[in-house]
Amino acid sequence: MSEETLYKLRVRYRKQGRLRYLGHLEVAHTWDRAVRRAGLPFAVTQGFSPHMRIAFSSALPVGTASDSEWVDVVLRDYVPAPAALDALARSMPEDLGPLEARYVDVRASALTAFITRADYRVRLEPASGALDAAAVSRALEAVVSAGGIIYLRGRKERSMDVRRTLTGFRATDASSGGVEVLLETHLDNDGALRPEILIAALDRALAPRADDEPIVSSGIQSWRNFGRVAIERIGQYGEGPEGDMTDPAGHASIDIL
Amino acid sequence: MGAVYEDRFADIEPLLSRVEKPTRYLDHEWGALASAEARYRVCLIYPDVYEVGLPNQGLQILYRVLNREGGISCERGYVPWVDMADAMRGAGVPLLSLEGAAPVASFDLVGFHIPHEMAATNYLEALDLAGIPLLASERGEDDPIVVAGGPSVYNPEPIAPFFDAFLIGEGEESIVEVARTHERLRDAGASRDEVLRGLAQVPGTYVPSLYEVEYGPDTTRWGATVPRAGEDVPEVVLKRVVDDFGATDPVPQTVVPFAQLVHDRLSVEVLRGCARGCRFCQAGITYRPVRERSADQVVSAVCRGLERTGYDEVSLTSLSTTDHSACAEILGRLNRRLADTGVQVSIPSQRLDSFGVRMAEAVAGEKKGGLTFAPEAGSQRMRDIINKNVTEEDLDRAVTAAIEAGWRRCKLYFMMGLPGETDEDIVAIARLADHVLELARSVAGKGQRGAISVSISVAVFIPKAWTPFQWCAQLDDAEVKRRQQLLLHSVRNRAVRVHYHDADTSLIEAVLSRGGRDLAPVILGAWRRGQRFDAWTEQFDLARWEAAAKEAAIDLRAVAHEEFDHAARLPWDHVTPGVLKGFLEREWKRALSGVTTADCTRESCTGCGICPALGTGNHLAGERS
Repeated sequence: MSEETLYKLRVRYRKQGRLRYLGHLEVAHTWDRAVRRAGLPFAVTQGFSPHMRIAFSSALPVGTASDSEWVDVVLRDYVPAPAALDALARSMPEDLGPLEARYVDVRASALTAFITRADYRVRLEPASGALDAAAVSRALEAVVSAGGIIYLRGRKERSMDVRRTLTGFRATDASSGGVEVLLETHLDNDGALRPEILIAALDRALAPRADDEPIVSSGIQSWRNFGRVAIERIGQYGEGPEGDMTDPAGHASIDIL
Repeated sequence: MGAVYEDRFADIEPLLSRVEKPTRYLDHEWGALASAEARYRVCLIYPDVYEVGLPNQGLQILYRVLNREGGISCERGYVPWVDMADAMRGAGVPLLSLEGAAPVASFDLVGFHIPHEMAATNYLEALDLAGIPLLASERGEDDPIVVAGGPSVYNPEPIAPFFDAFLIGEGEESIVEVARTHERLRDAGASRDEVLRGLAQVPGTYVPSLYEVEYGPDTTRWGATVPRAGEDVPEVVLKRVVDDFGATDPVPQTVVPFAQLVHDRLSVEVLRGCARGCRFCQAGITYRPVRERSADQVVSAVCRGLERTGYDEVSLTSLSTTDHSACAEILGRLNRRLADTGVQVSIPSQRLDSFGVRMAEAVAGEKKGGLTFAPEAGSQRMRDIINKNVTEEDLDRAVTAAIEAGWRRCKLYFMMGLPGETDEDIVAIARLADHVLELARSVAGKGQRGAISVSISVAVFIPKAWTPFQWCAQLDDAEVKRRQQLLLHSVRNRAVRVHYHDADTSLIEAVLSRGGRDLAPVILGAWRRGQRFDAWTEQFDLARWEAAAKEAAIDLRAVAHEEFDHAARLPWDHVTPGVLKGFLEREWKRALSGVTTADCTRESCTGCGICPALGTGNHLAGERS
């Protein structure tokens, strides 16, 4: 089958509510089934074990919400994008529902290669008393100036390079008594910022202890200073053909800071 | 005050960070039913973790049947894994249903599936987490009615004190009647006792509190169960059965999980019942009569089910799918319909002959994993005793056909500890495994010899209620261990891999299969000592069971290892799948003399008595080959 007869449908979808606790593979698996339920004419790979031609933007950590996850589905036949979006919306659990769909060039680079920027909004609620944005900013500055965050993945010690991956942040006091932190991050083949690990480092920096346990790589952390932490990915962008920052569907980026 | 039906997801959400596989506790899967508004609420619980319970077809059927009823909402529950259960206890969160995240104790009816005997401690674990008194006798007016049903209800006595009622037989026939009867009585302001007496009037319902156990010279040591004086309840509760199987929904499955499960696929039940008559097999008696769906119904159900669920695999389920009279036609039509869709069709087990291999070939496509056969015994003498109507020539033909078709891995299932077994029969298992390996290697030819692998899995025979072997003793666990060693040392070829079942687990399974009501304190005692998830090898601890038995003054080995007098009334005589005791007795005598009995779907009626007792019969879609 020649590539000219194929169509690449690019879909933005959400990961909200309880379903933010799904792992990346579970999301991928659910998408595969939803595309089948939607009756879309999906293309399959050639070879011994044919499977659906579907590709996702980089994994969202377990527990993190998002309204800007992306998936490419390769179709054998052209289905008008609004009709495809409707069919998918009827076939997906609401909390993983599609938000927009449009065709991109079938040779367009993969989402994981295209996306180099991710923005996050983190809402921190205090465990007790109050949090204030100034203290959070100072603690974050300290984390950033340390350069790397050491954490454990299994038994192996890893380091997350904050200086390279965190391109900007801003903390503001929220009316509820908590603090909202906006994060602008850079990602590439050498790594990405994982907000939950940054927040775990912030948690320790806010009230350092001698007997701190090492940070463990997990989408869902236990917190000391925070009663509740809600992390949301609010935008993913790449460099467009003219050097402009756009999301994978071509919309211009929004400056959050 | 009873528990309030309300969404408590926020209470378990903070715990998700501390447990493995949080997806187990999420719900909101595609196809989840249940409605927020309902006059009557049922929670159906599988006594194991989510990924084990979700694929269960019996519960899928009941879930669908109940949610189709106006005013009734049915939700699902599973037993939280030990990490989550401990976290919930620590945080004071009760067991919640999945759909509404509501306390299980707030439902009108709580129904447990009984998949096998080894789930006994998990009923207690779930009830305790739910905050429902463990013993039916201690439940009050505000507690839910707790019922149980499923394949393993044919000796309910060991777990009888934990349940208000048992639904015997095919639950889709009676669950709505049970729910409606309860709803009507509840709305009329009936007391708990009145409700239970009302439920006992629904055919197929066994209410243990209205019965008592008597002990006498005509019973075994473990007693016999009879109606309490003055109670208007049946002396023998007969199972319910679906007469028109073709009229039932062939695709009751609606929920498509997020997590990848072991049995993660569409299942279409193509036939129910098996009449091959293996004498150790409980399902072979309790699922009778044999009822097949038509080829048209199966093919259209598969296509519809795949569209609705988005699955890319479908399993045609039953006790013996290759026995379906239209098996070849169904597989041929499905292969044509599903060509180029990447959908995989599977059948759960293969008949031990070349027809079975041809059917396996029809679904395997290019992927040929392993092929599984169940000769069950190594010697022809022993296969005749158990009525496994298979010869070594059948096995040879099946293996030859499988290797010629391209399979390289073969797994053989056997049992040990069968009645009349000698050391020669154990050695015969090893001989047969060696023989299959040699045969497979020679058929595969040079260059492929190394690719051949044969493994054997040897279970311990457990005497089960309502089988021709129900009076038999289980082989002593020390002797089981000796015969396992004998087997290991008798296998000559190191390329044959040998797996065998744990003798300790088999002991408890036998105890729970053939004991009476006085085992309930032992189950309680084992659970109090920390026993749960007995079906998980790493969770099973015989020492806790032994300590509990000692405390209750029950000798576990006496329960498992004593033969029952054929004239005695047995602990399960009051709950029946409809089989005649005379038939079981006759089959036992034929077993002793090595005489086999034919399959009534292929030859004449064997007189098991089930069709007349249930007022139904075998319904085949065509001639069986």
